[in-house]
Amino acid sequence: MRGYFAFLRGAMLVGVVYRLGFLFTILGNIVYMIIAYFLWRSIYAGKEILNGLTFDQALLYIALGSTIFILLKTYTDWGMAEEIRSGTISVYLTKPIDYQLYNLFSTIGFASTSILTVTLPTIFMLFFVFRIPFVLGAGYLFFPVSLLLAFIINFNMDYAIGLSAFYTESIWGISTTKEIIVSVLSGALLPLQFFPAAVQQVLMVLPFQAMFFTPLMMVTKPDQNAGVFLQMLAVQALWAAVTYVASRLLYNQAIKVLRVAGG
Amino acid sequence: MLTLGEYIRLYFLIEAQYIKGQMQYRADFLISSVGMFFSSLATLSIFVVLFNSIPDLAGWSLMEMVFIYAFYMIAISPMQILFDAVWFLRYKIQSGEFVKYYFRPMNIMFYFMSERFDLKGLTQLAAGIALLAYSSIRLGLVWPVGKVLILILAVFSASLVLISIAVMAGSSAFWVVNSYPVLALAWKVREFAPYPITIFDGIFRFAFTFILPIGFIAFYPAQFFLRPAEISPLFYLAPLIGIGLFALTYKVWDLGVNSWTGTGS
Repeated sequence: MRGYFAFLRGAMLVGVVYRLGFLFTILGNIVYMIIAYFLWRSIYAGKEILNGLTFDQALLYIALGSTIFILLKTYTDWGMAEEIRSGTISVYLTKPIDYQLYNLFSTIGFASTSILTVTLPTIFMLFFVFRIPFVLGAGYLFFPVSLLLAFIINFNMDYAIGLSAFYTESIWGISTTKEIIVSVLSGALLPLQFFPAAVQQVLMVLPFQAMFFTPLMMVTKPDQNAGVFLQMLAVQALWAAVTYVASRLLYNQAIKVLRVAGG
Repeated sequence: MLTLGEYIRLYFLIEAQYIKGQMQYRADFLISSVGMFFSSLATLSIFVVLFNSIPDLAGWSLMEMVFIYAFYMIAISPMQILFDAVWFLRYKIQSGEFVKYYFRPMNIMFYFMSERFDLKGLTQLAAGIALLAYSSIRLGLVWPVGKVLILILAVFSASLVLISIAVMAGSSAFWVVNSYPVLALAWKVREFAPYPITIFDGIFRFAFTFILPIGFIAFYPAQFFLRPAEISPLFYLAPLIGIGLFALTYKVWDLGVNSWTGTGS
């Protein structure tokens, strides 16, 4: 296990080298939040409540959603595709390490730099600069666990997308398509309450809501019964397990078609 | 110096080679084209879902929003199709490969940008034209020849604004090497171009009109066709803003090209 932490540390150090990148990411997120603030202000336009959400709740949902989007965008699939295309993947395959775990730890390393430089400052800003009222509730306690499960589901999906490079070599298309499907169906761009009831029912049985909607609702409506939150976590855990098994099975298939020239 | 005709001939020669190279990744190309189409539909589906809950957005109806969005999709296509190379500048700077562009007897920006031609952008252009036609019919807009000419000019100006923002963001690679965060920032902000600029007030409306001119990408031009009575005099400035911004961008690019000292390899 110690070996894998070296990958985590390595990825963190790479993140620190590109400090300027985080600065622009934060700046971009601030501009996004300002625009979202005005957009949602005109969506509410005097209305107290829309689909069960107040303006403050909707704004918190959208702004935090964009922050989690940045956190979950770890480019794991892009890195894998590059390793597969160039053949450097053979370096990892010939060592006694698990390729999925290696990727997981590098991804955690990348994301932990991003938590410190982007996620936490943004949350701070939401409450202190945008002055979103802080509602006391159990949801905040469950949120970190929920976010971790969302991270794992997202990683498993990215990993599976990365594996598709074994077949197509270039993954722009499949990666972009996945990102769009996730951002619309997970509730990252619009709270799921805004969708028509029938569509909502379908979205709730898909894995995507477990990546954004679930953790976001824990913070947007934190004052619910602990039982509700535990049930949400159970659904997330189930999806984490399902996507993990699916990505393993896909790996066993994909590895068979790998051909690395020379080396 | 090459003549315009020679540049056009060269462009087709370079493009033909690029497309041949891309045919290695046939599966990705097919998925990309489908993905591009879905990506255009994503924002549209968000509009449709949102308008289930609200009657209008800052006074604009769903169909009017579709029209503004369609205009935006058409305006972004030239950037997507012809200037896609900006996303790759940072790799060529990092590896030092960019040095090759200095040794060709032609314009560096032309040569660099011509090395990529984004075929999948054509799906977006087609979807944009279809949506513009659909929303015009639903809104009962009429298109005399004069108005069509103004539309073309408006698309041209908006495209120049989009191209300028992307090329300027990409050019930061000459100084900071990894221009990805700057490009990602520009890309994110531009996503808000199809929303009415009237939702902002005070300093922010000014900023999104003059400093980060996303208002000129879709809203001010679309306003001319949708509600000519409410039109802002700013609309007539659009071609000037477009050309001016592009000229400025070219200066920045040129400055970058001249100040880049290579990687030493």
